[in-house]
Amino acid sequence: MIKYWRILILAVTVFGAILAIGYGPPRDGVEIVYVSSGSSAAGILSQGMIINSVNAQAVKNIKDWDAVMQDIGNNITVVANGEEYEIEINETLGIDVIEVQRLNLDFGLDLRGGTRITLTPTENATKDMIDEVVATLRTRANIYGLQEIRFFSVRGVDGRYYVQIEAAGVGRDIVDNLLTKQGMFEAKVLKPVNLINGSGTLELGKNIHDIESVGNKTIELDGELIKINDTFTVDDTEFQLMNVTSGQVVMLATVYDGSDIEMVKTDPQSSGIFPRGGVFQFYFVVLVSEEGAQRFADVTTGIPSFVDLNSGERYLDSRILLYLDGQTVSDLQIGANLGGVVYTTPQIQGARSTMEEAIQEKLELQSILRSGALPTTLETSSIQVISPTLGSDFIQSAFLAGLAAAAMVVIISFVKYRRIKVALPLVIMGLSEVIIILGIAATNDTAIWGIVLFINFMIVVTAWWKKAEVDIFAWIGAFLIPLVGMASWTIDLPVIAGMLAAIGMGIDHQIIIADETLSGDSDEEKKSYTMKEKVRRAFFIIFGASATTIAAMIPLMSIGIGLIRGFAITTIIGVLVGILITRPAYARIVELTAKE
Amino acid sequence: MAFNYKLLIIIPIALQIFAVSVIMNHYLVSGEFFERAIDLKGGTAITVTSGPVDINSIKSSLSAKFGTVNIREFRGISGTGIIVEFDTETDSDGVIQELKSLGIDTRGSSIESVNPALGEAFWIQGQIGIILAFIMMGVIVFILFRTFVPSLAVILSATSDILVTLSMMLIFNIEVSLAAIAALLMLIGYSVDTDIMLTSRLLKTRGSGIPKKIKSAFKTGITMTLTSVVAITAILLSSISPVLAQIASILLMGLLADLVFTWCQNSVILRWYCERRHIGDE
Repeated sequence: MIKYWRILILAVTVFGAILAIGYGPPRDGVEIVYVSSGSSAAGILSQGMIINSVNAQAVKNIKDWDAVMQDIGNNITVVANGEEYEIEINETLGIDVIEVQRLNLDFGLDLRGGTRITLTPTENATKDMIDEVVATLRTRANIYGLQEIRFFSVRGVDGRYYVQIEAAGVGRDIVDNLLTKQGMFEAKVLKPVNLINGSGTLELGKNIHDIESVGNKTIELDGELIKINDTFTVDDTEFQLMNVTSGQVVMLATVYDGSDIEMVKTDPQSSGIFPRGGVFQFYFVVLVSEEGAQRFADVTTGIPSFVDLNSGERYLDSRILLYLDGQTVSDLQIGANLGGVVYTTPQIQGARSTMEEAIQEKLELQSILRSGALPTTLETSSIQVISPTLGSDFIQSAFLAGLAAAAMVVIISFVKYRRIKVALPLVIMGLSEVIIILGIAATNDTAIWGIVLFINFMIVVTAWWKKAEVDIFAWIGAFLIPLVGMASWTIDLPVIAGMLAAIGMGIDHQIIIADETLSGDSDEEKKSYTMKEKVRRAFFIIFGASATTIAAMIPLMSIGIGLIRGFAITTIIGVLVGILITRPAYARIVELTAKE
Repeated sequence: MAFNYKLLIIIPIALQIFAVSVIMNHYLVSGEFFERAIDLKGGTAITVTSGPVDINSIKSSLSAKFGTVNIREFRGISGTGIIVEFDTETDSDGVIQELKSLGIDTRGSSIESVNPALGEAFWIQGQIGIILAFIMMGVIVFILFRTFVPSLAVILSATSDILVTLSMMLIFNIEVSLAAIAALLMLIGYSVDTDIMLTSRLLKTRGSGIPKKIKSAFKTGITMTLTSVVAITAILLSSISPVLAQIASILLMGLLADLVFTWCQNSVILRWYCERRHIGDE
């Protein structure tokens, strides 16, 4: 048995890879990846739910889904995550679905559909800035509740950094309203100062500053001339001069910005939506820092109040304006009881015409405020939308193409070698490489590869103990491949191209092994070589060619956005699997055949 | 044997002159050495699995609304479709609406829109990638054989192969895209494979007769290329993905070119080198 230890290692690794790919309960259905806001399904179905049937018809895959969706009535019954939902349809249902992942393989966007967006910072961003952008966007997406969305920072050769977003389903509205918003938050309070004979006092907490109107919409404050729209700083608070009339000067004071927000409340007591006069009003409370609250207190000191005749409530003769990226999101009155008070829990409010819009707006604001501002503004520089149908067709036709290619290789090599024991293993090795590479890429497979590592180790140690020829590459192979196997990555088009490259090369190298060891029989000079020498010579060529390929791919791993990188990594891993596991096993099989 | 083997080198030289003149001609006509795809120059591409359609009528109604448009057809085992391309970032939703109004099934559509600056960055990256790959490949080949002429011959063969493939891409209207760059990189690997096999057979084995060794290496090499060619043809014929089809057709052209450069160029240079150095004489 130990004579075949190289083949045994291959068998164990392939078996481990199969487990890594397929282990788990059977999975059926379609997964919701996106619910359009304002659609029929909004508020009923949510992202991540798995739909198993519609109108009592089973939905096992995307084809079933498309068929059921062809003619749905006005009311449908959807079974998602084991619960029944009744949905009344106006126009469309408004959800995007993808097929449930049946295997532990993470197929990329190009294979299962989705959106890929590249955002470019408008200024030259440093690595730290981009990392901050990615972290902020991640937080926003998490708070917003987006699943299956990934953010990467990537660097071009021109030295610029980009942010790449991959999502199974993301609408254009989310990109514009959530992800590319810089999120600069500011709260400003209108500060009126009444003038008597052209002069008055600016009251800031306990400090008092004299103001004099010098005509032509200009004032003099602490000896300095300030024109309308000028910004200026008094007692560490930033002001802008808004208006000057004969009786009044109005200024806008910045009381807090994004860095003052310490917490965004989302609990039902401090956040909610209610209908009011034909619109839906949302509100939520934020917790601001002591300094921010102190600034609010200072600015609101001394502002007179009035009684609102409609509500009977008493308000300050001022307003608080909340801005996001320079746009007003809330414009609120300030209760008279808050004037001059250190108030750390202001409330953000807004109104939208429908419930869904109010929910979405509130969630967007909460997400942006909680994640903080991006260090730079971003603009969308590429968008790729791949339909899921194209994706599922792709996997199917790739499988067919693979089968056809394998059949052709068997025929050609059988014609050449006239021995099925040489031709068949050639293709079986290629297939094993596909399985091993997929198994390495599979997710949640650390335990399986750990066991493979242990068994491989036992096999190599036993072989070495029994004085079989165990070279350094056998040791490396037995350890390295299962270790790499614990990693997981997304299988997309470049990865498939990389697999093709590695497998094609593998077949080439096996032909070299077969020719070096078998076809020499008739040549006089080749008889002077022992089998061991022949195998060694074949491996010189194979190692040389593999080293060249790996060397050519290494620089590509560090450059490139997505495509080239995934291609290079997969090719390298495929070539490593080949030279460390499958080719030694193939050489052993051919050696055994030659001896017959 | 009356036939002088050195004459064989005329074929690869003629092929290279042809390739260079195709590329130069393209440069003189268009001001660019290569035709870049959307992902490397910016623009919008919309792929629709539409079934057979009348391209000209679609083209005229789209160009009336959205400006200059280029429409290509693609075929695969599970259907045919069209790729609609614009040089600028175009309102893709509007285009899809227009296609729908022309009675085209747009359910399986995919959109790619790339900003020209980003495309340019990808293009520079791709070029640097290929150059770096070549340098690394050359270094390893020199380490393997540690002799100047044979190593140079391997590198020359790979370079010629890429050059001819690029000219073929111009002739067959295959644009240079990121996928095409991946294919060209794969080609370096395949090209070097046969060359390393040939060189080590000639330089590193005992026994008599360079011609005999070349003949036996040729048998192995032709099997390697043939299996690759049939496997790639199978992928080319059965795949619906335009990207994979593009990679496959580039590999196919490159492998055929590689036959010429390995067996009419590299083997001639090596044989001449062995004769000059009296390698393989007994």
